Amino acid sequence: MTVLPTTRRQFLRNSAAAGAAIATGGIAVPANAQDVLKIGAVYVSPVSEIGWTKQHSLGVEAIRAEFGDKVETTVIDNIFKPQDAERVFRELAADGNQLIFGTSFSHGTPMQKVAPRFPNVAFEHCSGIKHLKNLGTFEAKYYEGTYVAGVAAGHMSKTAKIGFIGGFPIPDIVGPANALLLGAQSVNPDTTCSVIFLNSWFDPGKEKEAANTLISQGCDVVCSMTDTATGVQVAGEKDAWAIGYASDMSKFAPDHQLTAFMLNWNSVYVGAAKAVAAGDWKSEERWQGFAEGVVAMAPYNSAIPADVQSKLDQTQADIASGKLHPYAGEIKDQDGNVRVAAGSIMPNGEIRGFNWFVDGVIGNLG
Amino acid sequence: MDLFIAIFTGTIIAATPLIFAALGELVVEKSGVLNLGIEGMMLIGAATAVWSVFSGLPVLPAIVLSALAGAVSALLFGVLVLTFMTNQYAAGLALAIFGSGVSAFIGRDFGSDPTTALDEWHIPVLGDLPVIGPLFFQYDPLVYFSFIMFGLISWFLYRTKGGLIVRTVGESPQSAHAIGYPVIAIRYLTVAFGGAMAGIGGAYLSIAYTPLWVEEMTAGRGWIALALVVFATWRPLRVILGAWLFGGMTILQLQGQALGVGVPSEVLSSLPYVATIVVLVIISRNRQMMTLHFPASLGKPFRPAG
Repeated sequence: MTVLPTTRRQFLRNSAAAGAAIATGGIAVPANAQDVLKIGAVYVSPVSEIGWTKQHSLGVEAIRAEFGDKVETTVIDNIFKPQDAERVFRELAADGNQLIFGTSFSHGTPMQKVAPRFPNVAFEHCSGIKHLKNLGTFEAKYYEGTYVAGVAAGHMSKTAKIGFIGGFPIPDIVGPANALLLGAQSVNPDTTCSVIFLNSWFDPGKEKEAANTLISQGCDVVCSMTDTATGVQVAGEKDAWAIGYASDMSKFAPDHQLTAFMLNWNSVYVGAAKAVAAGDWKSEERWQGFAEGVVAMAPYNSAIPADVQSKLDQTQADIASGKLHPYAGEIKDQDGNVRVAAGSIMPNGEIRGFNWFVDGVIGNLG
Repeated sequence: MDLFIAIFTGTIIAATPLIFAALGELVVEKSGVLNLGIEGMMLIGAATAVWSVFSGLPVLPAIVLSALAGAVSALLFGVLVLTFMTNQYAAGLALAIFGSGVSAFIGRDFGSDPTTALDEWHIPVLGDLPVIGPLFFQYDPLVYFSFIMFGLISWFLYRTKGGLIVRTVGESPQSAHAIGYPVIAIRYLTVAFGGAMAGIGGAYLSIAYTPLWVEEMTAGRGWIALALVVFATWRPLRVILGAWLFGGMTILQLQGQALGVGVPSEVLSSLPYVATIVVLVIISRNRQMMTLHFPASLGKPFRPAG
């Protein structure tokens, strides 16, 4: 660990800057920032060709492309456990990084601990809930992507049964599963969606069995919201349709991926870096989707008819413009109770805390 | 019927990596050595297989290389516990952690790229039979190989002089030494064999089961294999039955979830573990059975006197 040579004078200057920052509500740029912007990022897994961490690494690359030699980035990967993360975040902050990204829900508590001790460092936390004066959060509206994927599935499914595999029964997974089915039901109201939770973030073998199980029960579209391409791969083997997540996964089953809902954090990363460079970064709560380009659809499978493809584009545009909301009523739960009345839209707070399944989901949240 | 076939074949396939790793460990433990590092050796095997396939090797040599890599990593453990007499528990745990790191390094460049999968054998005539065909004759070659290994290991341990020697070494290394058998050399052989089997089990995961490389892709199967050996009271047939029980419960709980059974998924997910532990407890109640098959010198280092 490198310790910054902090003299008393520097310390006073930084404190003064921090004071000014609090007064203006922004984050002050330390005096040496004119030279090179120092940015740190912590990934939850190693960077592979596809998936969650890959998309974050693209964000950091976008910063490098934008700033060239005006930026110095430090990336630390494969940090999942909170106890490791706290040390890493503290080191990055002590190392003089002015902007630090955390990319996993599990980085939340460590960041909340470290951020107050470094008041003039800007922290950005992906999929975080809590913010502080110098800790911002950003998150994607996955449900917008799954809704469009659901519309595609509704058109392409012959059995009117789709399958969904998720890691754990948490709102960020339950909500997108619901939206997938709502999208499919907008085409064929009789569609059902069988949901399996692996209760593990990471077990390709079990994911394969889950996908096989769904297909053996008649599901002919499988969407897997995990960090591997196993679901797509199994769909390819069993001649079913797949929906990819985070990255375009078509190379794992070239003809069988209907589409994928992809995450693109570049605007968030570059935006935050620019704000820090300009000295006007503020802690924000960003929750973005199609409109901001954070969620995007992978190229559609050529097996999808042209008119359906244009309908998918239209759906996407309508969601982006706010004309269509995936969680617009009337929405019933599994027991047939109306949870979102016709003509109203589910409030954001409820979307972020989704803990029930919509009518037509076959699965159990306990 | 289709559902039954899906559950049956799913069980056989899910059990295969466990069978390889657990049968290997059984032979190791029968010779009196406890190797807790199965998870690490499986990961090294899995990564080696992917590395070999990406380097242009056909699948069969890739599997052989994985077995070799597993054996070499097991021999590292062997040097520590057999030559330097370090504590077997600590060295085994170290091997598990070491394997996870080394495999991540080997597989670094192949993250989440699809590998060439081992094709399933559609056995002519038999494979075409309705029901029977898909149930028994449409697996990949490694599934059949796991059964061949089961037969060979059972035969070797209980029907040959070599097996008797291995079991003697595990029961009473002093006696074996006194008769003139090279205890340490025999234990080196079994440890290497266990490593090779774990390596094949790992290779099965990365080129047949889910043909891709991701870090920590064994997801705890090495530890389950370790438990299976105890559960099976050190008998090969019970290892197979235990692996099927565990695999079958895994598939059944997934089927249950997808059918919307009114039980929370967290409870269903714990079923394979609960079932295995319950059976383990029931079996362990029979103390005679345990003492009969338990290798008496398991985990104890052997110092040849004089």
